[in-house]
Amino acid sequence: MSATPVVRHRLTKLERAEQRLGWALLAPAFLLLVGVVLYPVVELINQSFRFNQLTMPWMGTPFIGFDNYTKALGDPRFWHATLNTLIFIIVTVPGAVIVGLGLALLANKPFTVKWPVRLGLLLPWALPLVFAGLIFRWFFEYNVGLVNAVIKMFGGQPLTWLSDPTLAMIGIFVAIIWKTSSFVALVLLAGLQTIPKSLYEAAEVDGASSWQQFWEITLPMLRPAIVVALIFRTITAIQTFDIPYAMTNGGPGDATETLAMYIHKNTIDFLDIGYGSALAVLMFVVSALVTAVYLRHTQRNPARVAT
Amino acid sequence: MTMPRFNKTAVLWIAALVVAVNGFFPALWILFTSFKTETELMRVPITIFPTAPTFENYIRVFTDQPIHLFLWNSFMVATLSTLLCVTVSALAAYALVRLRMPSPGLILTTLLAITMFPLISLMVPLFQVMRSLELLNTWWALILPYAVLSMPVCTMVLVSFFQDIPAELENAAMIDGCSRIGALWHVVIPLTAPGVFTAGILAFVNAWDEFLLALTLAPRVSARTVPVGITLYQGEFAFPWPIISAALVIAIVPISILIAVFQERVVGGLTQGGMKG
Repeated sequence: MSATPVVRHRLTKLERAEQRLGWALLAPAFLLLVGVVLYPVVELINQSFRFNQLTMPWMGTPFIGFDNYTKALGDPRFWHATLNTLIFIIVTVPGAVIVGLGLALLANKPFTVKWPVRLGLLLPWALPLVFAGLIFRWFFEYNVGLVNAVIKMFGGQPLTWLSDPTLAMIGIFVAIIWKTSSFVALVLLAGLQTIPKSLYEAAEVDGASSWQQFWEITLPMLRPAIVVALIFRTITAIQTFDIPYAMTNGGPGDATETLAMYIHKNTIDFLDIGYGSALAVLMFVVSALVTAVYLRHTQRNPARVAT
Repeated sequence: MTMPRFNKTAVLWIAALVVAVNGFFPALWILFTSFKTETELMRVPITIFPTAPTFENYIRVFTDQPIHLFLWNSFMVATLSTLLCVTVSALAAYALVRLRMPSPGLILTTLLAITMFPLISLMVPLFQVMRSLELLNTWWALILPYAVLSMPVCTMVLVSFFQDIPAELENAAMIDGCSRIGALWHVVIPLTAPGVFTAGILAFVNAWDEFLLALTLAPRVSARTVPVGITLYQGEFAFPWPIISAALVIAIVPISILIAVFQERVVGGLTQGGMKG
């Protein structure tokens, strides 16, 4: 970067007053952040180095160094939950982006009546995750679920969807991808609408097929939006909780348990604040890395997505 | 190469149908399910439309489970957290846009980064904090975190709307004896009403949908929000699907109407910045 000469002028009295007012207006936001995020985070890190089981209040909360962390390293259930979370990320993030891209391409057609398509994309986004989980749990029900009914209609054998470890994972994939792909589609649709029509017209003149147009124009032009969607989905996928909670509650056994669910279980069910905090810190570190990538990306690209 | 007219229309219809069916089908299926009797629901082969439609499930939702209480809790938590969030965000956004703050971009990024903190990590200490403040199972345990949850979206939406208001309008108001805050309230907010509204809807939906914190910080039946209340419905032996489906319909309808009425604003707010890059 070349240094541009900066003319430092002294702030006038009015400007200083304005700046003071500015800080005053920002104060409520910062106060909320301190109370709801910063202080809890400090407390989280503090607790992660302590023995703190609410079931044993007489033990107090002594400092135990990295014991909670080393406990995690030797805890097979932690590793299993981490592996499951990783599988959910690897499958559902690209899955949602691919399905979302398909939906966005379909939704980008020049409809005269736009609301059915727009609402078709908005409704899955607006539903609570647990509702999607409950609905798909009903779809995958063994006896009277829709999925097995369709399988039987085609002469197949019904599957024990949510009580088989592997099939349960697949059922959860489907629910997560259905629920999250519509938000991805909305983001990508906004991206599609910024691609100049003239590019396609020129390609048409040159005789490019629609397949070539997709690979040569649509995908490259959509790249920034796809990257944003990927990173965004990853940040939420790290925290996967609601849908498996509603569909299987981590079962059968702990076959579909995610890291978020294991943290919740340790804290709320086992009341082991120390261990739960250590696991939460580990998750935070991973999430922070992805967030950092996201923020770097948005600062280089004006394209921003909110939610 | 031009496609025949019929083909083009057919493609449009198929595209619209795929997107709409994908979006509506699960909710519609639940709607049909909610009018079926328990015996019809357990019968094989399954039916699509209810053969003997009944309202019984809707009555039982209110008699077996206090869903009205869940709806009330959800409504109040979502409304109050939205008001808090939009107010705080509007003040912050105004300061960032108008008041010569040093590096407003950095402040906005910090805000974003802090609020992207995984909820599950916040859940553990928030549980502790709310417990010691004796706020567990109260609306406040959820209102404060939800307001923060939606602060980045709201602030970003409002910043982009505020930027479009010419400063001269406020200056004129201030020459007429309005204070800064007066100008914000009487000039900027009315002119950016659509933006304020968009921010509000997004905050409301976020709060209405949230599950993890609601489950952790307000699990008692009297304090449950709708997502927690419905998910934790437990029958004596099996999951009570007829009641669940009716409850889901009751919970989905209000949010669907909200989304349907304000769909353009919601889409605009969600894809804020509109991929300008």
